[in-house]
Amino acid sequence: MTGSLAALPDDTAAQSAPWQRLHPATLALAIVRLGPRTLNFLPALAAIGIAGKWVYVLPAFGAFLLISLVTAWIAWARFRFLVGANEIVIESGILSRQHRTIPFDRIQDVSIEQGLIARALGIAKVGFETGAGGDKKDEARLDAIGLGAAQALRSTIRAHRGDAVPAAAALLGRDDDAKTIAPAAEDRLLFVMPPGRLFIAGLFNFSLAALAVVAAGMQLFDDLLPFDFNIFNPLDWFDLAERYGFEQWIVAHRWIAGVGALLSLLFIGFASGVLMMVLANWDFRLTREPRALRRTRGLTTRTDVALPVRRVQAAILVTGWLKKRFDWHELRLQSLASDGEKEKDHQVVPFGHLGEIDPVLAEIAIHRPDASQPWEHSHRIIAAGGLFGALCAAAGGAIAMMLGQPLGGLGIAAAALIAAASLFSARFHSWTDLPGMVAIRRGWLKPKTTLLPHASVQSIDLKTDFILRPLGLATLVFGVPGGSSLGSHEIPAIPLAAAQALRERILAAGARA
Amino acid sequence: MTDTVAARPVDPFDAHALNAAQGLDPVDPAFRHVLRISALFNMLPIAIGATLLDMFVVREMDGPYGLLSVLAWLLALLAITAFPARRAQRWGFKIGEGQLRVARGWLFRTDTIVPFVRVQHIDVGQGPIERWFGLSHLVVHTSGTHNSTVTLPGLRADLAAAMREEIRRHIQTDFA
Repeated sequence: MTGSLAALPDDTAAQSAPWQRLHPATLALAIVRLGPRTLNFLPALAAIGIAGKWVYVLPAFGAFLLISLVTAWIAWARFRFLVGANEIVIESGILSRQHRTIPFDRIQDVSIEQGLIARALGIAKVGFETGAGGDKKDEARLDAIGLGAAQALRSTIRAHRGDAVPAAAALLGRDDDAKTIAPAAEDRLLFVMPPGRLFIAGLFNFSLAALAVVAAGMQLFDDLLPFDFNIFNPLDWFDLAERYGFEQWIVAHRWIAGVGALLSLLFIGFASGVLMMVLANWDFRLTREPRALRRTRGLTTRTDVALPVRRVQAAILVTGWLKKRFDWHELRLQSLASDGEKEKDHQVVPFGHLGEIDPVLAEIAIHRPDASQPWEHSHRIIAAGGLFGALCAAAGGAIAMMLGQPLGGLGIAAAALIAAASLFSARFHSWTDLPGMVAIRRGWLKPKTTLLPHASVQSIDLKTDFILRPLGLATLVFGVPGGSSLGSHEIPAIPLAAAQALRERILAAGARA
Repeated sequence: MTDTVAARPVDPFDAHALNAAQGLDPVDPAFRHVLRISALFNMLPIAIGATLLDMFVVREMDGPYGLLSVLAWLLALLAITAFPARRAQRWGFKIGEGQLRVARGWLFRTDTIVPFVRVQHIDVGQGPIERWFGLSHLVVHTSGTHNSTVTLPGLRADLAAAMREEIRRHIQTDFA
């Protein structure tokens, strides 16, 4: 492969910097990864066993392990990379070789991720976001190199981007005149999550999802548990009381058993909420770097993500009906780059007061509308969808009751609840047009405010249908780069004239960009 | 675009009036033949399947023999003869002022505007039925996740190519 070196565009760089390999500890990681992969091999082993050839099971397993390890070693040996003056070159592949050159100019951000084992070994996975879009699998990454080397590599690339003119940013059509995002001189800490804050956030993160797992486990391992006690079963609480001689008292106060079950339910909900929050956001730090917002977080898996400020498309503020009372909010930023494989938008403030969120928003040149801003409401007709659902539920319940099934009453009760909820939350849809930005509010149980700069809008749909049209209403749907896990951006059921005027204003702003 | 459509409801059975009221150009009339032939290919197997079901299942079960077939063929006839012309008339587009506007549908009408500067790339496609009538469809890609592709069918092939050139010129001037 040395022959291909001469063909490199940057020959001097190739000479000055030597080829490097991944950290040898990567091999240890490969062994760890073998664990789950062995599971795929188990059916084959079982098949051999069932065929009566038990003698071959162990050798087959050994051969599988050996081949996997040798493959991992060859892959490691055949992977090398070179950090040049202006680009990084990666060569990989066992049989078919792949040669990739990534100029530093094109690297939008460098992410560093460490799993639990990687942290013990002092290595980190480095990902290069080039903004090529879409497929995460195709993204270049070094898996894995030493943590020190990873951080050095990132500062090299960052320093390079520091001098370079922001070439790629213009492609996204951000309105540069309106919001001059001057590169910050030095790194500043914008937001941290101290343990106390994490605990409060965890309490609000009350989740019964873990409960289902525990309950299912209790059902499954009921006989195996060393104690015969199901915390969800009030009868078990009776038994417990009996054992301690509370029997008389408990029969007189039956409700105490119910309270016990409820308390343990609440405890599990809160505990799992706190646990999830601590795992995800331990030592959360958001820093402003010259061109990006950088976020590090995580207890077991530590991630380090840089979000280029110019690529932010929209800001979404999420809260809850109870959280809102205590002025707790969550800030998410929608960007062209996605946050890992799971999330589409970046959570930059998981849990903070508006006073803490405003400085972060200021960094990306988005300003929250102040209290005096008049908001315009969507028409109440948007409750129609929920009402229709309620009608269906009520009809289903009524039919069931007529057929002699008393449980149909539940359907009717649910219908009333759905109808009330949709009628009530319909009042919370509103929007307002700020200079250079449109703000959309929705939801009552989980209020969500979207701050969408006009310059981010790529296309606009104006939708009417047979319900909205007679009322002279229309729905605006915005096409914005990058996805959001919170759905599309739309303003439902506003007067047609207002919708048309807003559309023209936004498109005029886009044309200037 | 400025006249208020809601103030004077447009006759829903006069699609030309609808497009005119909203300042849109109609697509090529031949597009209704394209829709009709594709409806034919879609509905015919369904109608035949319904008839077979009727003959071999409903009759065996002493059900209402013939009802299903008659309904299926009526529906197919409507879908092939009556609907395509109406659907074709309800597509409208306007190109100019640095933006492409595409509207479609009546019961659920969607009116999309894509500024040329937001276009990432453009496709002009032609299916076998479209080729028969000398039509093409234009597909505009933006970087949004919602609406990342906007399709405008029923354009004469030369018009589609001209529109592509027009939009491409804007993309070039923006990025130069």
